[in-house]
Amino acid sequence: MNTNLKISNVTKIYPGCVANDNVSLEFNSGKIYALLGENGAGKSTLVKILSGVIIPDEGNIYLNENNLKLNSPLDAKKNDIGMVFQHFNLFETLSVFENLIIDSDEERESLREKIDTIMKKYNFSIDLDIPVLNLSAGQKQKVEIIRCLIRSPKVLIMDEPTSVLTEQETSELFLSLKKFSEEGILIIYITHKLKEVMQLCDEVAVMRRGKLVSVSEIKNENIESLANKMVGQNLKTIKKKKAKTSSDQLIKITNLNFTSEDPFETNLMDINFSVNRGECLGIAGISGNGQSELFQVLSGEIISEKNSIEFNKNYIGDLNPQERREYLMAFSPEDRLEQAAIPQMKIFENVALNNFKSSNFFNNGLINENKIKEHSKKIISDFNVNTDNIELKSQFLSGGNLQKLIIGRELITSPDLLICFNPTWGLDVGAINYIHETLIKINEQNKSIILISTDTDELLKLSDKISVIHKGKLSKIMNAEEVTSEKLGILMGGAN
Amino acid sequence: MIIDINFIGVIIASIMASAVPLILASCGELITERSGVLNLGVEGMMIIGAISGFALMTVTGSLIIAVFGAMLAGVLISTIFAFLTQTLITNHVATGLALTIFGIGISAMIGKNFVGIPGKEFPVLFEGLKDTMPLLGPILFGHSIVFYFAFALPFITSYFLKKTKIGLILRAVGDSPESASNQGINVRLVRYACILYGGAMSGLAGAYLSMIYTPQWIENMTGGRGWIALALVVFSTWNPIKILIGAMIFGGLTIIQFHMQAIGVRIPVQFLTALPYIVTIIVLVVISRDSRKIRLSTPSSLGKSFHKDN
Repeated sequence: MNTNLKISNVTKIYPGCVANDNVSLEFNSGKIYALLGENGAGKSTLVKILSGVIIPDEGNIYLNENNLKLNSPLDAKKNDIGMVFQHFNLFETLSVFENLIIDSDEERESLREKIDTIMKKYNFSIDLDIPVLNLSAGQKQKVEIIRCLIRSPKVLIMDEPTSVLTEQETSELFLSLKKFSEEGILIIYITHKLKEVMQLCDEVAVMRRGKLVSVSEIKNENIESLANKMVGQNLKTIKKKKAKTSSDQLIKITNLNFTSEDPFETNLMDINFSVNRGECLGIAGISGNGQSELFQVLSGEIISEKNSIEFNKNYIGDLNPQERREYLMAFSPEDRLEQAAIPQMKIFENVALNNFKSSNFFNNGLINENKIKEHSKKIISDFNVNTDNIELKSQFLSGGNLQKLIIGRELITSPDLLICFNPTWGLDVGAINYIHETLIKINEQNKSIILISTDTDELLKLSDKISVIHKGKLSKIMNAEEVTSEKLGILMGGAN
Repeated sequence: MIIDINFIGVIIASIMASAVPLILASCGELITERSGVLNLGVEGMMIIGAISGFALMTVTGSLIIAVFGAMLAGVLISTIFAFLTQTLITNHVATGLALTIFGIGISAMIGKNFVGIPGKEFPVLFEGLKDTMPLLGPILFGHSIVFYFAFALPFITSYFLKKTKIGLILRAVGDSPESASNQGINVRLVRYACILYGGAMSGLAGAYLSMIYTPQWIENMTGGRGWIALALVVFSTWNPIKILIGAMIFGGLTIIQFHMQAIGVRIPVQFLTALPYIVTIIVLVVISRDSRKIRLSTPSSLGKSFHKDN
C-alpha cells in the first residue's frame, strides 16, 4: 500500500528563534527523501515534530489523508512512524533484548522470534543478551532500527545516522535503507552531508534558518548546487599547501599506556608517535576508540609517566595542563561547553581561566580585570568572534563563535603545539572554514598541531601525516598524500 | 560454659528483628533510586511513620489502621518531596535534607502528648511452633507479620526489577530519562510512583520501630537508621539481596556489641558503638568491588532533575 505523509504549514517558535517557519512538505513511499540543512537549520525540530517529541505551535501532519495529533512519541509509534535518533535513545545498562521489549506489547518468546527473523532478513548480527554499552556505534544503530522494524512502520526517519559510523558501516546502512524503501517503507533521511544525499536519495528538501528553501529531484542537482542552497552563498574551497619538510622534532610520545577502571572508557595501549615543527598530525577514528583518553593524556588531564612524553626536549608526562601550558602547549577539547569553557561565566572570565604565567591576569591574588578585558577584546577582534560584548555569558555564544573564542584564547600565547579534538564538530560551514584556515595558518608559522577528529574529510584536508586509532591502539603513521578516505575507513573498522 | 542452643537461636532472631527496619527502608529507597531519584529524606519519612503509627494505635486502638496509617503518612510526606523535585524541579539533595529536618521536627511536635504512654502488644505468628525445633524454632517462628514481609521483600524486589515489565521500565527511566521519554514512557509518573512507594516503605519501617521493636514513642527514636538505610542502598550497589546481607551485618554487630558491653569486654564503648557502621560499610565495599558491575547497576541519572521541554 502506498504511504503519503504530508507536513502542512508547520511553525515552531522558541524564544529568540524561529525553528520552523511555515514548512510544508509532501512525501510518498517508494522513494528516499533527504532533508538537508546545516546545524540549526530546523531539520531536527521538524523530525522531532514528526516523531511526537515536540509539539508544533501551528500546522498539521497528515498520514494518508488522516490528520495526526502527535502529542507524544507514543502517538507517533501508534501511527507507524519510526524514528532513529542522532543521539541514540537506548538504555546503556540494559541488555539489547530489554531495550527492545520495553516498548513492545509482545511476549518474550514471540518477540525473540520476530527479532531473529528481522536480523536474518537484513543480515544483522547482534548478541541480544549483552548490555548495550558493549556495542559499537554501528551495532547500537542497528538495535534502534530493529526497534522500529518490530512495529512494521510505514515511515522511517533517520536523523544524521552516519555521524558515528565508519565508511563500511555507512554503505551497509545504505543497502538496508534501499531494501526498506523497496519494501514500501517511506524513508526520510536527515543529514548535512552532501555526498550521502547524492549517493542515497531520490529527492531532496533543503532547509535554511527554519525555512524550506527548495525541493528538487537529486538527478537535477550536484554537490555544488546543493551546498550553495544549504549555505545560501557561494563557498570558497580552502586547500592546504604542502608543508615544508622539517626534521626538527617537537613532541615525542614513547610507550604511552593508560588503563582505565571505568568500563565506559578505552584503554590506551603502547602509543608511540612524534610530531615535527610545522606539521599537522591527524588522528582518525570512530568516536569511542580512545580519542578522548588520548586527548586527556596529551593535555595532562590524565597524568602519565614522566618519560612517556617528551616536548621540546623536556619530559613532561607528569605535568598537569596548566604546567604544560607554560611549556607552550595549548589545548582545545572536544566538548566546548563542558570542558573548554564554563557556560555560566562571562566571556572575559573564561579567557582568564587560561592563566598563563606572563598574562598578569592576577596581581597578588587579586583579579586584574582591566588586563583580562583588554586581552579578551584582542581575542574577539583577532579571531573574528561575532560579538562586541565581553560581559556576555559564554553559553549565549553560538557554537562557532565559542570555538573561535576558545581557539583564540589558546593561540594568543603563540604556543608551539596546539592539540585539538573535533574542533569543528557541530559547526556551520562558515565557521568550519574559518577554523580550518586558522589551523592552516598555525602550520605556516612553523607551529605544530595534533588534530584528533572523527571527520575524515577534515583530516585529509589539514593533515600532513595521519594515523588511525582503533580500540586504544594507533596504526602506523602514514603520509597524508598516500591516504584515501576508503583506506582510513578500513583502518577505522579495525582491519589492517 | 554450656550455651543453650536455643539461646543462640534467640540471639539470631533478635539480630534479624533489628535488621527489619533497615531492610524495609532500604528496599523502598532502592526502588526510588533505581528510577533516578535520590531521596535523602528517609530518616524523616521513617520518623513520621513511627509517630503516626504509634499515635494512631493509641488513639484508635486498631493495629491495622495504625500500620496502614503509618505507611500513608510516609506516602503523604514523600508526596511533598515528589511535588517539589518532579513538578517544581528542585534539587534532590537539598529537598531530601529539608524533608528529614521537617520530619524530625514535626514528629517531635506531634509526639509530645505520647511520651511515656505504653505501647500495645503486636500479635505474632506461629508462636506455638517455636519449641518444635531447636535453634531454628526461635529463628523462624513467633514473629510479627511485618518481620516476615521484610525478609521476603529483598527477593520480591529483586524479582520485580529483573523479571517484570514495570521493573524494566523503572530501570530504563533511571538509566536515561531522556530516552525513556522519547520512547513514550511518562518519566514523571514513574518517578512519582517510585518516590511514593519509597515513602510507604520508610513509613512502615518507622511503624515497626515504634509499634513492634520497642513499643513506645521516644523523640528521635529512629536514631540515624534512615541514614544507614541510605548507605546500605549505595554500598550494596543497588542490589536488594546485598541489602539483606548488609542489614544483617549491621543488626548483628549492633546486638553483639550490646552484649559485649554488658559482659564488660575491655574495648572502649565508643569503638564498640561505631563498629557496626564501620564493618557494614567495609563488608559491602568489599563484596561490591567490581567496577564494571557498579557501572551497570548504578542508575545513571541518579539525583539529576529531568525536565521535558516542548
